[in-house]
Amino acid sequence: MIVEGQVHGGLVQGIGQALMENCEYDDQGQLITGSFNDYCLPRADDVPNFVVGTNEGAPCTHNPLGVKGCGEAGTIGAGAAVTNAVLDALGTRGIHDIDMPATSHKVWQALQQSNG
Amino acid sequence: MYDFNYEKATSVDGAASTLSGADDGKFMAGGMTLLPTLKQRLAMPSDVIDLGGIPELVGITVDASSVTIGAMTPHAVVHASADVQKVIPALAKLAGLIGDPMVRNRGTIGGSISNNDPAADYPSAVVGLGATVYTTKREIAGDDFFTGMFETALEEDEIVTKVVFPIPEKAAYMKFPNPASRYAVVGTFVSQGPQGTRVAVTGAGPCVFRQSDMEAALTSSFAPESVENIKQDDEDMNSDIHASAEYRAHLVTIMAKRAVAEANG
Repeated sequence: MIVEGQVHGGLVQGIGQALMENCEYDDQGQLITGSFNDYCLPRADDVPNFVVGTNEGAPCTHNPLGVKGCGEAGTIGAGAAVTNAVLDALGTRGIHDIDMPATSHKVWQALQQSNG
Repeated sequence: MYDFNYEKATSVDGAASTLSGADDGKFMAGGMTLLPTLKQRLAMPSDVIDLGGIPELVGITVDASSVTIGAMTPHAVVHASADVQKVIPALAKLAGLIGDPMVRNRGTIGGSISNNDPAADYPSAVVGLGATVYTTKREIAGDDFFTGMFETALEEDEIVTKVVFPIPEKAAYMKFPNPASRYAVVGTFVSQGPQGTRVAVTGAGPCVFRQSDMEAALTSSFAPESVENIKQDDEDMNSDIHASAEYRAHLVTIMAKRAVAEANG
């Protein structure tokens, strides 16, 4: 359960980076996403339920307990998977690149600029 | 936070006279805007006069033609009210979309409309249903109450006591929330009933406004197709890191179309 929880947290962090989280600065270098009223941290209702599968048959050979880190695994995969999904959806409109986070605003702007 | 005197009022008259006697007094309803403002030292009132303990300002009554909500009634109570859910479900839904559970249990309708945040939800219901705002001095038509960004028709020592919403034949509220704060990036309230056909838009501009082109189209035919090709002029729209003026204008049409579809069931 600890491992699943860590993976859930990692997945949400990755999804947040792909779709929501961004530090914005104004022209003077002032951080304008200084509170959670403006900085979009993902919350429980922003993400779906997860099904996590683990493969426990390959213990680490470099430490006596055979343990491995697991939280980051979710983060690394989630950003790529979600961004690929966004680009897959936009591909028919000739959009093949979008910077994270792919917010609804940014996706709309990309669609406005596409010719498709 | 700066130092201030705190007074818990027990009557609206007492609250008004305390304010008159203060150097720079401020009424507090739920405090959901005022307290963060004080904590960030963006305001320095001499006195904070808490209206939250005045019993006659809390409660909901429903009669054959209207819903009356006391000014200090929290959003959570409006959202959970079986009476409101029955006669104006759009209003109960709107109350449940405000902020988060903590905000909904502290924040009040009177505080929300008196503050008139351009992205608040309630102003769209007041204008979108053609409600009447009752104060300690008079009654003000919803259409005349909101006068500009954070500006209302209220005088300095005037307190909202209740809001009376006529029961519409159909109504719906559709909101595109800011993903961080859950304020409305754009919220559109549509209704048809005793106050005519109304489309009130919040979040998009500096103050809630009625979209008259959409109202005219919906008056002839109350269908989503009537509004889907009506474009909102983006000239006076708000623009921030979450949505440009052009995107907000686009969302006005989308939210209106979805609201009409929901109102039609």
